[in-house]
Amino acid sequence: MRRLPRGRATAVPRPARALVRSGLLLAAASAVIFLCTAALPGDAADVLGGRAAPEDVARLRAEHGLDRAPHVRYLDWLSGMLTGEPGVSLITGRPVAELIAQRAPVTLFLAMAALAVSVPLMAALAWAAVRGPRRLRPVVNAVVVAGAALPQAVVVAALVASLSAAWRLFPPVSMLPAGVPPWQRPDLLALPVLSLALPTAAYGTVLLRGAVADVVARPYVRDAELRGLRPVTVLLRYVLPVVAAPATRLLAVVLGGLVAGTAVAETMFGVAGLGELLVTAVATRDVPVVQAVALLAAAVVVAGMLAADLVAPSADPRTGLKAAGS
Amino acid sequence: MHFLFRPSAAVTLAVTLLAGCSGTAPVTTGSRASGADPASGTVRYAAPGSPSNAVTDPHGMLPGESDVVRMALTYDVLTLPGADGSTRPRLATAWQPDASLTRWRITIRDDATFSDGRPVKAADALFSLRRMGRKAAENFGRMAMFDLDRSKVIDDTGFELVTRKPYAEVGKALEGATFVVPEGSDDFGKPVAGSGPFRPTGKGGAQAVLFERNDDWWGPKPPAKAIEVRAVPDPQARAQALLSGQVDLAGGVPATLVRQHEDNSAVRVVRRPGATLYPLVMRMDAEPFDDRRVREAVRLALDRKQLLDTVFLGYGELGNDLITPKDPSSPADLPQRVRDVTRAKALMAEAGLAGGIDLTLHSTTAYPGMDTAATLISQQLADIGIRAEVRLEPPDTYFSAVYARKPFYLGYLGGIPFLDVVRVTLTAGSPTNETAWRDRAWSADLDRALAEPDEAERRSRLGELQARLRDHGGYAVWALSDRLDLARAGLSGIPEGIGFAAAFIDQVRLDG
Repeated sequence: MRRLPRGRATAVPRPARALVRSGLLLAAASAVIFLCTAALPGDAADVLGGRAAPEDVARLRAEHGLDRAPHVRYLDWLSGMLTGEPGVSLITGRPVAELIAQRAPVTLFLAMAALAVSVPLMAALAWAAVRGPRRLRPVVNAVVVAGAALPQAVVVAALVASLSAAWRLFPPVSMLPAGVPPWQRPDLLALPVLSLALPTAAYGTVLLRGAVADVVARPYVRDAELRGLRPVTVLLRYVLPVVAAPATRLLAVVLGGLVAGTAVAETMFGVAGLGELLVTAVATRDVPVVQAVALLAAAVVVAGMLAADLVAPSADPRTGLKAAGS
Repeated sequence: MHFLFRPSAAVTLAVTLLAGCSGTAPVTTGSRASGADPASGTVRYAAPGSPSNAVTDPHGMLPGESDVVRMALTYDVLTLPGADGSTRPRLATAWQPDASLTRWRITIRDDATFSDGRPVKAADALFSLRRMGRKAAENFGRMAMFDLDRSKVIDDTGFELVTRKPYAEVGKALEGATFVVPEGSDDFGKPVAGSGPFRPTGKGGAQAVLFERNDDWWGPKPPAKAIEVRAVPDPQARAQALLSGQVDLAGGVPATLVRQHEDNSAVRVVRRPGATLYPLVMRMDAEPFDDRRVREAVRLALDRKQLLDTVFLGYGELGNDLITPKDPSSPADLPQRVRDVTRAKALMAEAGLAGGIDLTLHSTTAYPGMDTAATLISQQLADIGIRAEVRLEPPDTYFSAVYARKPFYLGYLGGIPFLDVVRVTLTAGSPTNETAWRDRAWSADLDRALAEPDEAERRSRLGELQARLRDHGGYAVWALSDRLDLARAGLSGIPEGIGFAAAFIDQVRLDG
């Protein structure tokens, strides 16, 4: 996501360019999502009819419009999404919007709580990996690489075995009572949040530490350090503003992953959320549901990147200086 | 019926995830979550199923057991399977045939009302059966034996049901899934009035659905004021929910956990014998299984005890190649088939396969132990010269790509009566006739048995047909697995039996 050369900025205002780019990105994402669902072997008629007589399966296929050409289905779906009508589930016949609306609160709660835990952790680990005590750095690096590589199921099992089975801090599963919003039972959701946050923090650190290392090696940071400024001052005044833009983009990607990538944790803890919905819908070839959830996750990523693009100029001290000087 | 024949995708997901988590089980942690509150009178049930696949239409595909449980609370069915396999009245009080056994008068109760106040009439019942008939492709043709166009309403409490052939088991054909909805209902996107023992409340959503007792129900007053039903795909998660006090009943839990809690006084293990089996399917129109001697050799080569102990951890019983051993008509006096490698080898030699043969055995991870079973069977068959290479297929395409297509694989059957299995897999021309069973004499004898009005005589003839299928057919049934549930110690009124019988939980009660 490189910014266009600054010289052209005079022709089209920067926010407008960012908006157009976001629209194009989202359109591209919708095409990729559609192609992926179209490429899955079998369709919902196979799942619904099982091995019913071929004419029955063909009838089901026609009822759901699955026998139409791919480009017709794509345009039909796109117009549905644009008019706010994502259709109905092929398997349950329930409106996709309702399925998503029922699950969005718990998944967004999990994602936001995980983000709230992982962001400070990520920052601390990235700093420790680059500027921490020399003997600690390889340890931190090894831990974050291992943490980022661990399958989520293993993280869940380890957390349950330690925090629940051994120390009895939290319940091993998260059966939210009917009609109770997630924020009223944080005790039930602690383990799912941790099992999302820890790998996210590790993964984010792996990506962030490069940017941090890059900045701290710059002459003006070295200069500031040589001038005897306190490390905290150096961090806040010279490092953080430069790292903010890539970090915001990173957060956007991480948040998108959290919104759609909660399936393993949700299933293992018994939470009905968007991730579980996505994985089940893929397995049953419930294309309207898959497309809507995937596009929602893509939209979260694109919106985050847009936000990153918009905040970047004010966060970058050099841009600010230039703007002041011109 | 769907959930009994093949796994929903959610179950398959759950099982694939199971491999990752086998943490030890804490018993009732003292947190807020364990605060079961008997005073509130709510019984909380974690049922197998997927919240993502939760359906609202009672007549189409019912992908998970949780779906059947929700329907069984909301709507009345015509008849109910008893724990002993007999048929019990529910909304229907009587089913009387004419002399030809093709015209049945079904009488329904006159004191049932829908939640919108309308009385339940015969027209509603016949409408519901016709709706099931229209959705045949999604419910495995449950109404296939009826000519619903020629059936007709007689009066408010009676209708005439016409069968295509003489059919003495109409009571059984109406068991379990015949959910009665108000005539004209076709949009189940919005709540549709039911006449069942409980009513869904608006409370809840994706996580769980809360049902309130219907105090106007005609039947025995349910002890629980409310029941919370939750679909939980992962068997491990269902068990942990019970052990940590978050639910009062967990359906279908792993045998490993049950073994750990046999002596735990806080929980009770509910065993339902013979609930599931993974039959070894041999297609009789494909080599080498078109030779009866090869099929018999395979059945003789299986070490059933080893399979039972390894795949089901001993929670079950030995299979005797009977496809529906818990059906009341299943013959009970047949000798147990045991491993006989010498005889099996001789049969292979007679079939011209003394040098052995290379085959592919398909299996999947859709249900726990299906992959282990295939590996073990392959090892056992090696002793008689069958070199079976196990190929594991993805769970989400197994039942469309392998089931009823490949000549040699592990299938799945869950608590299904004999006549249902006949309709789906043992009828010539059925697309799910997985063993290519086309025995004209057998089918003719089946029609004769179903035209026999005397129940004892009919049962004995149906039993004889199952014995013939056992020796001549393409199934090897090596073991039956118990269905294992975990309940809180104070919970009673859990229904006995398998299949649909297990889904009617309206009489559960929480003491203490």
